[in-house]
Amino acid sequence: MAAVEIRALHKRFGKVEAVKDLSFDVEAGRVTGFLGPNGAGKSTTLRALLGLVRPTSGTATFGGQRYDELEHPSSQVGAVLEDASFHPGRTGRNHLRVLAAAGEHPVSRVDEVLDAVGLNDAADRRVKGYSMGMRQRLAIAAALLGDPGVLVLDEPTNGLDPPGISWMRGILREQAAQGRAVLVSSHLLAEVAQSVDDVVIIAKGELRGRGTLAEVLGGDDGPATEVRSRDPEKLAHALESRGLRVERDGDVLLVPGATPEQVGEIAAEEQVAVLGLAPRMRSLEAAFFALTEETT
Amino acid sequence: MSALLRAELLKLRTTRTFIALTAAALGLSLLLITLIALLQDDWVEQDVRELFTGDFTGLFILLLGVTGMAGEWRHRTITSTVLAAPNRLRLLAAKTIAYAVAGAVISLLVTLAIMAVGTTILSVRDLPTLGIADLTDGLWRNLVVSAFLGAFGVCIGGLVRSQIAAIVGLLLLTFAIEPTLLAVAPHIGQFGPTSGAPNGVLELEAFGDDTDILSPAVALLVLLGWLGLVFAGAATLLQRRDLV
Repeated sequence: MAAVEIRALHKRFGKVEAVKDLSFDVEAGRVTGFLGPNGAGKSTTLRALLGLVRPTSGTATFGGQRYDELEHPSSQVGAVLEDASFHPGRTGRNHLRVLAAAGEHPVSRVDEVLDAVGLNDAADRRVKGYSMGMRQRLAIAAALLGDPGVLVLDEPTNGLDPPGISWMRGILREQAAQGRAVLVSSHLLAEVAQSVDDVVIIAKGELRGRGTLAEVLGGDDGPATEVRSRDPEKLAHALESRGLRVERDGDVLLVPGATPEQVGEIAAEEQVAVLGLAPRMRSLEAAFFALTEETT
Repeated sequence: MSALLRAELLKLRTTRTFIALTAAALGLSLLLITLIALLQDDWVEQDVRELFTGDFTGLFILLLGVTGMAGEWRHRTITSTVLAAPNRLRLLAAKTIAYAVAGAVISLLVTLAIMAVGTTILSVRDLPTLGIADLTDGLWRNLVVSAFLGAFGVCIGGLVRSQIAAIVGLLLLTFAIEPTLLAVAPHIGQFGPTSGAPNGVLELEAFGDDTDILSPAVALLVLLGWLGLVFAGAATLLQRRDLV
């Protein structure tokens, strides 16, 4: 059973259908990027998963259990939401102490998670004096308090500076490496591309693509190969005569739908010297736009 | 449930609002009691009773309860609170109990202080004072009403998400609507949640006529009825609301 299971999830706010028949899984030990443009339904989906929004139909569960059915929710799921808010007059340490009390976690965990996110020095300052990056670190600390097996993060890099984004990427990879299932949403594709294993792409509340990063990067056109040859015209003719489409870019040929092995074998058969041969994956941006352009 | 209660009590006592309101309730009550005890000359036993129950502590406790719940919406901390306690009914129950406890604790502190100061001044002036039995009787009545007001405030904060609207509404109820009802229609006003029924528990005469107040037992039942009503309303709304 997957760590997170979304099944035929549907959520309507009045006349607006925010999420439509959405289904996907999140596996343990992997970082799953939940991607889509603003207003795609990412936050609504995550909030339905966390029991903050009631689905119109369908289910969103952790190992088959709804969030509000979990016996010790904060020990099983840690969450960082986009608008993570804190009482401005309370210190970071106090905020965590309250959550530790509610989740029945030992008080010693407060210092451990503060240390893990590098907030020890600011722990006794009031949250209203925290920078955006410090607030995100505090939110991560709160999510880690119960040492949960699943992490759900909604746009965690919003408002972070480059070092903060880099730190967040490191945290995501580190948590997955420790066996946790990490579900992270973002509308900034470039920011998560380096840290995710799987991606789920939605637009206008509908699923547009899912799979490993490599699968989605490949897109619907399948593999593509870039080849550089001493005699590009002869090689292009050979490829086209075998039914392949060839796009020319100077002396570089792009062969959509062919693997490097296929192109290499054809070049060998035609005795054309090959100077370079490499797979070319579509950029995540391109895949993303291709998957969402029908509706945006 | 006990973990949630501990968390709510910890949350409550680690904010400045709690300390500020407690200090304000204590300071204002002591000032009021001192002035009255020093300046009033004609005293009967009922005057002394009312001296120790007719203070502003209840109002501060009511406001504390409202800010405790409505503040969750104001500071947008309701999301993390519900994530920590996804059973919203238990969450509301824990918060209601926590603020009832807080109300009782503040009332205990303030009542003991004003009883000590008031009794000392009256004794020095050689005026009538209350015995231990009467003081204890007044103390528990204050505790009961304060516990109710703390819990009532939480539920009002759950019904009206806007902290400002909730506070303004309660101030209107306390200082305008209920006093007016007690004056023009006491048979209705005596059932009010912030003055009418509390006066019954405290045995305070609203306008010098004891027919205006409910008996303590009936008044207590009325307060429980009010609490049940607002708790049910707040619980229903809290459970139905999408936290977007």
